[in-house]
Amino acid sequence: MRRLTGVVGAALGLALVLASCGDGKSSDSGSGGGAKSEVIAIAADPLEYINPLNENGSPGIQVAMAMFAPLVTTDPNTGKLQNVMADSVTPDKTSQTWTIKLKPGNTFQNGQPVTAKDYVDSWNMTAEGSNAWKNNGFFSKVDGYDALNPPTADGATPKPTAVKTLSGLKQVDNLTFTVKLKVPFSQFGLTLQYLGLAPLPEEVRKNPDAYKRKPIGNGPYKLAADWNAGDDIKLAKWDGYKASAAPEADSITYRFIPNADTAYNEFLAGNVDFTDVPSTKVKSFKTDAPDQWVTSVSSGANYLVFPAWDPRYKNPKLRHAFSEAIDRKAFADLVGLSDPAKGLIAPDINGYRADACKYCDFDATKAKQLLQEAGGFSGVVNISYSTTSATGQIFAEAIGNMLRQNLGLQVKYTGKQGSEITELADSRKLDGLRFGGWGHDYPSIEDYLTPMFKSNGDANFAGYSNPALDALLAKGDAEPDQDKAIKLYQQAEDIALEDMPLIPLYTKSNAYLHSAKIEPRVSKYVGVSALWATFK
Amino acid sequence: MIRFVARRVLAAIPIGLVVTLGVYALVFAMPGDPLRELAGDKPIPAAVLAAKRAQFHLDDPFIVQYLLSMKDILTGHFGTTFAGADIADQLRLRIPVTLKLTLLANAFQWTLGLFFGIYAGFKRNGWVDRSLLLTTLVLLAVPGLVAYFAAQYLFGVELKWFPVSGVLEGFPRSYLLPALVIGVLGFAGLARLLRTSIVETVNADFVKTARAKGLGEQRVLWRHILPNALLPVITFIGLDLAGMFGGAIITESIFNLPGLGQFMFQAIKLKEGGVVVLLSTLAFISFIVINLLVDVLYGVVDPRVRNV
Repeated sequence: MRRLTGVVGAALGLALVLASCGDGKSSDSGSGGGAKSEVIAIAADPLEYINPLNENGSPGIQVAMAMFAPLVTTDPNTGKLQNVMADSVTPDKTSQTWTIKLKPGNTFQNGQPVTAKDYVDSWNMTAEGSNAWKNNGFFSKVDGYDALNPPTADGATPKPTAVKTLSGLKQVDNLTFTVKLKVPFSQFGLTLQYLGLAPLPEEVRKNPDAYKRKPIGNGPYKLAADWNAGDDIKLAKWDGYKASAAPEADSITYRFIPNADTAYNEFLAGNVDFTDVPSTKVKSFKTDAPDQWVTSVSSGANYLVFPAWDPRYKNPKLRHAFSEAIDRKAFADLVGLSDPAKGLIAPDINGYRADACKYCDFDATKAKQLLQEAGGFSGVVNISYSTTSATGQIFAEAIGNMLRQNLGLQVKYTGKQGSEITELADSRKLDGLRFGGWGHDYPSIEDYLTPMFKSNGDANFAGYSNPALDALLAKGDAEPDQDKAIKLYQQAEDIALEDMPLIPLYTKSNAYLHSAKIEPRVSKYVGVSALWATFK
Repeated sequence: MIRFVARRVLAAIPIGLVVTLGVYALVFAMPGDPLRELAGDKPIPAAVLAAKRAQFHLDDPFIVQYLLSMKDILTGHFGTTFAGADIADQLRLRIPVTLKLTLLANAFQWTLGLFFGIYAGFKRNGWVDRSLLLTTLVLLAVPGLVAYFAAQYLFGVELKWFPVSGVLEGFPRSYLLPALVIGVLGFAGLARLLRTSIVETVNADFVKTARAKGLGEQRVLWRHILPNALLPVITFIGLDLAGMFGGAIITESIFNLPGLGQFMFQAIKLKEGGVVVLLSTLAFISFIVINLLVDVLYGVVDPRVRNV
């Protein structure tokens, strides 16, 4: 279960850019020409539509990032929020009602001005359950969400509701609207950088299906050519973009190459300017493409998850023993491009502490002692791994061997489809340990702790629940001062580390290849972006 | 002749039903929830999940899902994939790609196979024959997957003789390398079969008779030996073409050719029973048609089987 699909929020824009003539070796791959042209290849199945509001997968969000602009974004140099479409985002005293003011003078690519009404109507459409748009869940924090999403019986199609608008969403004037949340939420301003909240112009809202291959954005690039099924996506710079500085490239083509190894070979052949390094090439990419690679810490953390529903794992001391028995350095080396994890959040997040975890250093003696104090372990430890991943079994056996050697436990392994493991865990039937991973939607320590550790959190893989932690999260959510809020979240993290419903394992870096023609933007806050590459 | 064809087509219908039902059952039995697989680790809003489930009949019992899928196929309402692609559109785009690849690969395979098979069979135990036996033995032992990646790296990345992947350079350039690899890997079995068949035929009585009548060596070879030696090879065509689709799944994935094989691969990955059954039905129909043609052709070549 290490598939962090759909994890890439707007803050994490990793546009994979292929360019027509890689390293000066002539090879025309059909780009728009021009001095600063790039061709973008994505190692995924081709997109069927472009609509940021109905898109939470990374390929779709990547393409949408070029065509749409978010309200706010993270400054790649400072890590601070900066405005894009927004002129100001202001919470009230309790952080429950937020006022969003738009910059005047911005238009959609069809020439219509971007107004508060566009945002309010687009968001209402997305929040309506019967539309079944993928970013529907984002609005669950907003007042009135439940009226648009009544519970639906299994197997029934959600019916359109009589109510069509979120009661918490109010247009004040042409450029101002307010969002009232169900409960105070100090991090809401950060969440607004998610690209899945981009507005759609009125003509698209009337008939989204008719525009699924003809998106009208409000961002720096527009479609340069008709885009039919099976075509590459060709974009050209749109000169009407005024909201913020635009990237350098004049034209960009996105190419979809579902097989990641094939995409890698396309790069080596010089047809590609920028591509992901697939997991199979982690050991060889530096020699395959010397001086043409960049790495960055990925905003994701990887864990070993305990089943909270199995009484044998109930004693926290036992969980600490497991954690101490794992040689994280060796494991990170096995994974490749990884570092041992020392906490529950990714290292590039504001509020990360390198020494948060007290039980994450390899110490076999202490591990044995803790296991004894916990009263030992009866039976066999089962480790489930995903057969969908090429490395699942290897990683499971590595962990299993450490538990066997350092704690003298009996271990067995079960390979299943990733989704099957999720289902078993969701229905509290899974036996033993499993791997889990999480990457944030917006760069906040809160976006790790809430989904994973809050009772009934969206990604609470372990089924963990602790009222003290929930209370601290609520306090952090209600604290308008960001520094104070982070302190509260860190206290929540300490509780989670003490309870250890899951063991932090490693944080991974992502690696990318780029041709000599471009220099991708590398930021410790938002990762690597080829969309924002500079040309030499 | 008409009766023969009609009989074969009618016999194919129950087989087709069993095949599609079997394929559907296999997909249905695959573990995991396809919609969750689509989402990875991210939670999907309940409303989205419910709507998708209803749209694709995922909550119905197995047999109902199968019947609904078959109804869609037979009435030509292909609908969309889980990801929202229009299936009819996809077929329009993908069938030509797979046809081009298959035909080109077959052209290579038959040219090589017939040439070497006939040459080695006529000139038994010569150096061509010996080296052919050795080469084909090696080729038969090479796994396709390895050969495709190796060829892509060597001829595409290093030597730059061919495009690495995709169909941007159109036909035939984009198809040459994968077709060549398939052809070279596939001709081995064909050449060996043909050679053996020729060697067996050479010792048949009718060949001795022909020689005794004083016919020239060339005439004996081309008019008496070869037509008879080709009979088992014709059977080989039908089986081989059936296997082509299976091979296309791997080839099209590695060379990023947007054909039916790649579509099948994606559909299996996502447990899209409807798409898998649709493509299997297509494959089955083409298999029936090809074999029918092969049998008719057999009758043309060999008068003995005409009235069977």
